[in-house]
Amino acid sequence: MENKSIIRLQDIWKVYQLGSVNVSALRGVNLEVDPGSFVTIMGPSGSGKSTLLNMIGCLDVPSKGKIFLDEEDTSTFSESKLAQVRGAKIGFIFQQFNLLHNLNALENVMLPMVFQGVLQEKRKSRAEHLLKLVGLEQRGSHLPAELSGGERQRVAIARAFANEPKLVIADEPTGNLDSHSGEKIMDMLSTFHKEEKGTLVVVTHDPMIAKYSEQVVNIKDGQIIKNHSQAGESLWQK
Amino acid sequence: MAEVREYFKIGIRNIRTRQLRSWLTILGIVVGVFLVVTLISLSSGLKNSIMKQLNALGGDIIMVMPGSLDNLMMTMAGGQKLSKEDIQAVKDIRNVDVALPTDQKSEFIRFNNIQKSVYLIGMPWDDGKDFLINFQGWDLREGTWPTPGKRELIAGSVVADKDFFGRGLSTGDTVVVNGKKFKVKGILNSVGSQQDDMAIYVDWPVYQETTGDRSGDAFAIMVKAKDGVLPDDLAVEIEDALNEIRKRRRGTDVSDFSVVTSEKMGSIAGGITGAIQVAVFLFAAISIFVGGLNIMNAMYTAVRERTREIGVMKAVGATNRAVINIFLIESGIIGLVGGTGGVIFGLIVAKLVEYYAKGDSAFGLEAYISPQLIIFGLLFSFLIGCIAGYLPSRRAAKLKPTEALRSYE
Repeated sequence: MENKSIIRLQDIWKVYQLGSVNVSALRGVNLEVDPGSFVTIMGPSGSGKSTLLNMIGCLDVPSKGKIFLDEEDTSTFSESKLAQVRGAKIGFIFQQFNLLHNLNALENVMLPMVFQGVLQEKRKSRAEHLLKLVGLEQRGSHLPAELSGGERQRVAIARAFANEPKLVIADEPTGNLDSHSGEKIMDMLSTFHKEEKGTLVVVTHDPMIAKYSEQVVNIKDGQIIKNHSQAGESLWQK
Repeated sequence: MAEVREYFKIGIRNIRTRQLRSWLTILGIVVGVFLVVTLISLSSGLKNSIMKQLNALGGDIIMVMPGSLDNLMMTMAGGQKLSKEDIQAVKDIRNVDVALPTDQKSEFIRFNNIQKSVYLIGMPWDDGKDFLINFQGWDLREGTWPTPGKRELIAGSVVADKDFFGRGLSTGDTVVVNGKKFKVKGILNSVGSQQDDMAIYVDWPVYQETTGDRSGDAFAIMVKAKDGVLPDDLAVEIEDALNEIRKRRRGTDVSDFSVVTSEKMGSIAGGITGAIQVAVFLFAAISIFVGGLNIMNAMYTAVRERTREIGVMKAVGATNRAVINIFLIESGIIGLVGGTGGVIFGLIVAKLVEYYAKGDSAFGLEAYISPQLIIFGLLFSFLIGCIAGYLPSRRAAKLKPTEALRSYE
């Protein structure tokens, strides 16, 4: 398949040094994420799935191997270039929501656009639009502390989509939410995926979430043990 | 640069979320800048008032004093005098218009049953009166100039003030100086110098009689050049004449005297007050430096506390530069707010000191607040803030996003 992938991991190793012992979190992982796909990464805790997600999100640098973002080798990027590219092309949703606690919802959504140098007017209208999409148009002026967990995660989703990213990465997005809120979040993500044709990579150990996605990657002990598409639903498979 | 406004907003929010600590940090800078502003404005005021006194001395006047200028303090304290012979030699110089010897001694003066110590200054009234009126700008508030040779005096404005003896001196009053009765003949308007205002003036022979010092030696000679003669040229002539005397007296060919034009006097005084200002500035700078350390400490704490936040910002696209800028702006704001507070507080205190110093006769001091000082205070504190914030902000920028995100609040 000669499709241009959004992100391509090539023999990725990540070795942490814990005292005198070397611990390999990833051991020669190869993975391609194609445009418009919805990939779930599953695995028990300690399997290396968060490390893998950090690699996919260009948050971390591999000990060995190469990461191609839009077919560009990220190992050649400077730290600042990487941050710039990351801000422009990748959106993040975290289990801990990770909103800036002294910025209100609207300002949190605008933040990634600030770092891309988007003009104030445009920033604001885009952020308002995004908040409306997640149903929080009335809550823009509230600080994160004044929002419920589900609402915070919706703000985080709006923030992830601020710069119209090609790739959205979510690390246990429903992990800190009750099942009802969690479902709502997943609905929202899959709607974004379908309507904006965005690429979505979600890490979870919740098998319920996997049912939303088209491709499931199972990881264990730092290696991908299974990479399969869910029958009939895949968009990328012709 | 449009994002700088956003960074400001983030910075101000962050400062406000840890209010108490921010205020304490700001206070550290306030104290430093306050010291700079107060001390510098007061010492500039001191400098100005010294210069004013020098101007009151008269532009073209040459002062002849005993002792070397390099050792002015020793001369003042050491009681060296110019001899009668010296006085005559100066008077004999052709280009000298007037040469007025003066001598001074601290004496007790008694009036209204109160005894106080003031400077008794003696100078020949016959020459001195015109000299003082025409070249020094002295004038009498009331009364007349004393008759030469009589036990009559004129009093400086401070001595005559009702606060000095509990009752104002006026013409015709009798005061006792060193056990001898004197008639107050006239009272001077303020001559612009605190020391001169707090003195009493008598005729030269009367001075000698009162103090018991009949040597005829002078503490100083004030010389006025003839029209068309440059003070600097005459100063050289005077030096030559006095050196001549010392050569004739064997063994004392050392120049134990100084001839100073008012210009030179100004530069000496400028040097002294300049040194005071440098010292004052150094002390104040140290306290600002400590304030800077305080900011640095606070910013390191802030970086630690916000590690996770920094990770989030980096994840959503903040470059190292952006993170540095955010923290620099934050510490710069702390510095600037501290500086503003310090300037305001400093001006208030300087004005208060001035207000109370005015009431105190011996210590008339005006605070001189230059716009440069204010601008300097603000700019300097802002800079200190930025410098102090630089290392912490670099630490923030160097955080790896994954490690920052892994930290739990």
